[in-house]
Amino acid sequence: MTAVLDAREITMTFRNGDELTQVLKGVDLTLQPGELAALLGASGSGKSTLLSIVGLLLKPTTGAITIGGQRVEGLSEKERAQFRNRRLGFIFQFHHLLPDFTATENVAFPAAAAAGGMTGAMRKRARELLARVGLSDRMDFRATRLSGGQKQRVAIARALMNNPELVLADEPTGSLDRVAAEQVLDLMREVNREEKATFLICTHDEKVAARCTRRITLKDGLVDATA
Amino acid sequence: MFAFTVARRYLFSNPAQTGLLIAGVAIGVTAFVFITALIQGLAVRLTDDVTANSAHVSLEPMTRVARVLPSPDADVEAVAAISTFQRRQIRSWRSTVALLRTNPEVAAISPQISGSAFLVKGQAVAPVAVTAIEPSGLDAISPVSTEIISGDANLGPDSILIGVRLAENLGLSAGQPVLFRTDRGVDRLLTVRGVFRTGLQSLDERVAYLSIQTARPLFLLPEGVTNIEIKLFEPGRARAVAAFLHEATGLRATSWQERNANLDGALVAQAQTGTLIQVFSLISVLIGIASALSLSANRRRGEVGIMGAFGVSRRFIATVFILQGLLIGVVGAGIGCISGFGLCSWLATLTKPDGTMALPIAPGQGGYVAVFLLTTLGAVLASVFPARSAARLDPLEAIQQ
Repeated sequence: MTAVLDAREITMTFRNGDELTQVLKGVDLTLQPGELAALLGASGSGKSTLLSIVGLLLKPTTGAITIGGQRVEGLSEKERAQFRNRRLGFIFQFHHLLPDFTATENVAFPAAAAAGGMTGAMRKRARELLARVGLSDRMDFRATRLSGGQKQRVAIARALMNNPELVLADEPTGSLDRVAAEQVLDLMREVNREEKATFLICTHDEKVAARCTRRITLKDGLVDATA
Repeated sequence: MFAFTVARRYLFSNPAQTGLLIAGVAIGVTAFVFITALIQGLAVRLTDDVTANSAHVSLEPMTRVARVLPSPDADVEAVAAISTFQRRQIRSWRSTVALLRTNPEVAAISPQISGSAFLVKGQAVAPVAVTAIEPSGLDAISPVSTEIISGDANLGPDSILIGVRLAENLGLSAGQPVLFRTDRGVDRLLTVRGVFRTGLQSLDERVAYLSIQTARPLFLLPEGVTNIEIKLFEPGRARAVAAFLHEATGLRATSWQERNANLDGALVAQAQTGTLIQVFSLISVLIGIASALSLSANRRRGEVGIMGAFGVSRRFIATVFILQGLLIGVVGAGIGCISGFGLCSWLATLTKPDGTMALPIAPGQGGYVAVFLLTTLGAVLASVFPARSAARLDPLEAIQQ
């Protein structure tokens, strides 16, 4: 079975004036289809950096990344954007919904912007996803009229819009209250199980990690094999 | 086009700010239209005032110049003096008039005999500039018949029309005889047929009209005319028409602008001042659009960042902001043109106590097409900088903020 993600010897060094800081020191990471993996680590361990590199939002200093069988580290900026649009899904700590658009429009936005227009099929798919995340009665509500938990559910639906091979979530429950956070975690587990979507969830919350099927811990810029 | 939908949604998301922005553009465009219509109106009024009683183009015989003759002996210079045995005149004036009648730019033609004379009544003597014309073309250049205040404009044999100041100075009135003495030394008793008032002192005090037939023996010109005066449909074309007529006839052709060089200079200066005001009003409009869209792009950093994270292309993001500029430009310019036309039309209805326009404004000449296109194009250009900065935003940096 082809791995969804295969990252090899990933290093990342940031320059701050004359000072060089190596955040990642040779990370190896492989995800198989359908995995729900938690990426854990103390603050500053490099987990958000790794997530950004895997999400093609940041280029590693060195290393090789293969997603869905395609090498991606050498892609141009435009190709990386197209790859993100078609093959990756993102869920951020803050939902970042577009406030002037309805829940349906927000979900369909990535597909519509890439295609140059919102088709009926896109609208139908968006509404199916919103129904899937339990927002059948909020489909035509503007983002500003939704609660925090509802917004994050819309964000999950949006991440799934283009049937991504890999969904990357950065502290997806970090801005939610306990009840809403539980609901969102349950939802991601359901989607993972039923849609066979592969998730890599960056978190520092042990409770979140406990709900995942696999734990990957970063320590001092490397995957901690002992964790 | 999805980018258009997004741009429209962004503009409608804050109606107050968008409304203010469009109002700013509309006010700038209204000012542009007002200035343009006022300057055009002023130019038209000044031109009308200057050319109301004079020709747009005058044809005369070429000025004769004394020629220096070449000499094999360098110490000797010889000059061919100007011959004064022949009167300067246009002998073939009928063929010239026929040629002018074929020119579509020519509105009226008046072959004339112009000369100097004295009017003598008792001991009173007054110099006059004589314009002898064909009676049927009396109003071709100056609306003389409409300016008659006593008597009539019927220029029969031995009749003369004189200005009101001249009539007062000589104690003359319509129907009275007056001795006419030309610069050729010919005297004849003429009858004052009518007295006119143009409102211009120089004309009312110095000008007299005769028929060409009456003038021929008085000025010893049995065949030719001294000049041909021309009115054009478009006074602004006078220079070009004069140049063409000079080439076509070999006569000296003088445009009204050449005769009134100071006025022409003033009109050019006025137009340049107007252009400066127009440019500054457009620049202020464009700065307003650029700054408002820059603020909008900055306020929407998070949204733009998430679009970038989802792989929405930079071109799409830039297009959204450029389309906002385009929409603001089109709507603002449209409203500005309509309100500018309305303002100018209203101002054109205001009159002074004497019934003349309070402001010499030309509502139809507000430069509407130019200002609409310039504002729209400028609005698009003004949105390029905020559009580029939004499109270049690093998604990760924007999301983390």
